[in-house]
Amino acid sequence: MLWWLLLLTSFSFAETTSTDERVVGVFYFTPLFGHVHQSSVRTSASLTTIQCSHPLKVLESSKVQSGKDWAYVQVADHKGFVMKEFLSQKRPDCLQGKYPKFFDAVNLDLSELYYWGRLYDHYIQGETRVK
Amino acid sequence: MITTFKAKLGLSSLLILISLAAFSETEKLQEEKELEIVNFKSIKKVLQDDGLSEEAQQKEKQIVVLKKEQVKVDNSRYQYPSENELWGFVSEYWLVKNAQLLGWDFVKPDYGIEVAFRTTLEKLGFYQKRFKILLLNTPSMVRASLPGSDGEMILLLSVPFIRSLDLSKLEISLLLLEDYFRMEGGYFKKGAVTDKLTKLSGTNFHETKVDMSMVEELIKNYDQQINVKGYTFQQQFEVTKKMDAFLKGTPDLWNSYFKLLGKIDRFVKTNVQYKDYVKLYPSPEMQVKWLSPDEKVY
Repeated sequence: MLWWLLLLTSFSFAETTSTDERVVGVFYFTPLFGHVHQSSVRTSASLTTIQCSHPLKVLESSKVQSGKDWAYVQVADHKGFVMKEFLSQKRPDCLQGKYPKFFDAVNLDLSELYYWGRLYDHYIQGETRVK
Repeated sequence: MITTFKAKLGLSSLLILISLAAFSETEKLQEEKELEIVNFKSIKKVLQDDGLSEEAQQKEKQIVVLKKEQVKVDNSRYQYPSENELWGFVSEYWLVKNAQLLGWDFVKPDYGIEVAFRTTLEKLGFYQKRFKILLLNTPSMVRASLPGSDGEMILLLSVPFIRSLDLSKLEISLLLLEDYFRMEGGYFKKGAVTDKLTKLSGTNFHETKVDMSMVEELIKNYDQQINVKGYTFQQQFEVTKKMDAFLKGTPDLWNSYFKLLGKIDRFVKTNVQYKDYVKLYPSPEMQVKWLSPDEKVY
């Protein structure tokens, strides 16, 4: 009897979490490389490394608070956080896409890909206003 | 019994032969029919009258154009980035390659540098200027400015240096402004540029081997320019005079800059860890003299 009750509770919980999450839209990643973060903090652990023009499903859930600067996203099996300023509704014009053969020849290793993604997490970016 | 079997065998063989003959005859007839249908010669006039042959010719022309476009697209995949794009790419590649040495991947608080620097730029009339600041967790490299893509610049600054000098946000902004002027003056590019970069950027390497030594040479020049060559007295004089000209209109900024140079001068003279600073940025002492109204140094 207790087993049945437990099973029933877990089913109902699973249903709540799955139906609560909603796909807001598909957005594209704009920097050269970047990370899907475990939490909405720039220095938080990386779940996966992605590159420019990678499509990301932006999710909305009452259970996840991403903050105003961060988006809760899904990439393949990973659900994590990406800075909103790195997302675009249009497919960006990426260096990898424009010069694929040159980019292949650079032959970046995994450590370089990782650090390149981290670079964009650490940049303090700014722009002065239009006169 | 044997006679009956022979008769049956003969009859079945005959039937097979007849059916095969009939089948081949049917296939032939179909082919003939198809030939009749697709006999263009017989319907050439009809096609011409309907303008269908013209359409076919147009389609052929379209295919030729499409094939040419396809070749163009294929060739464009073998393009080197433009010079501007290469500067931005190599700057970031250099930062990635030196990540451990520069120690920029570290947890730090928000110092409010972006707002302070942006405000200073706007105060001095620099509008629509994009910048990236990267804080370093090392005393071995104090500061640098690297070219980014699309007129953007990447400004590097050491946090241990900021802390040792106990710099305010305004003073940090003024240091960044100096580096901003250095980049605007084109000194870095002039010191790091290679012949290969000028020659190969924006060109196509289809049917030839891609020459990655261009990137390697540029990376080496970055090392040299940032860690060894630095800036000349002449370049430093020009930057200091530019700072003087821009800050004169806002005396509070000018005074802060003048005091900052004195502070750096005293600090690098007494701190062994920063002894190379004067070699790369000659020299805070001279900068103070160039700015001092009473003395004229030629």
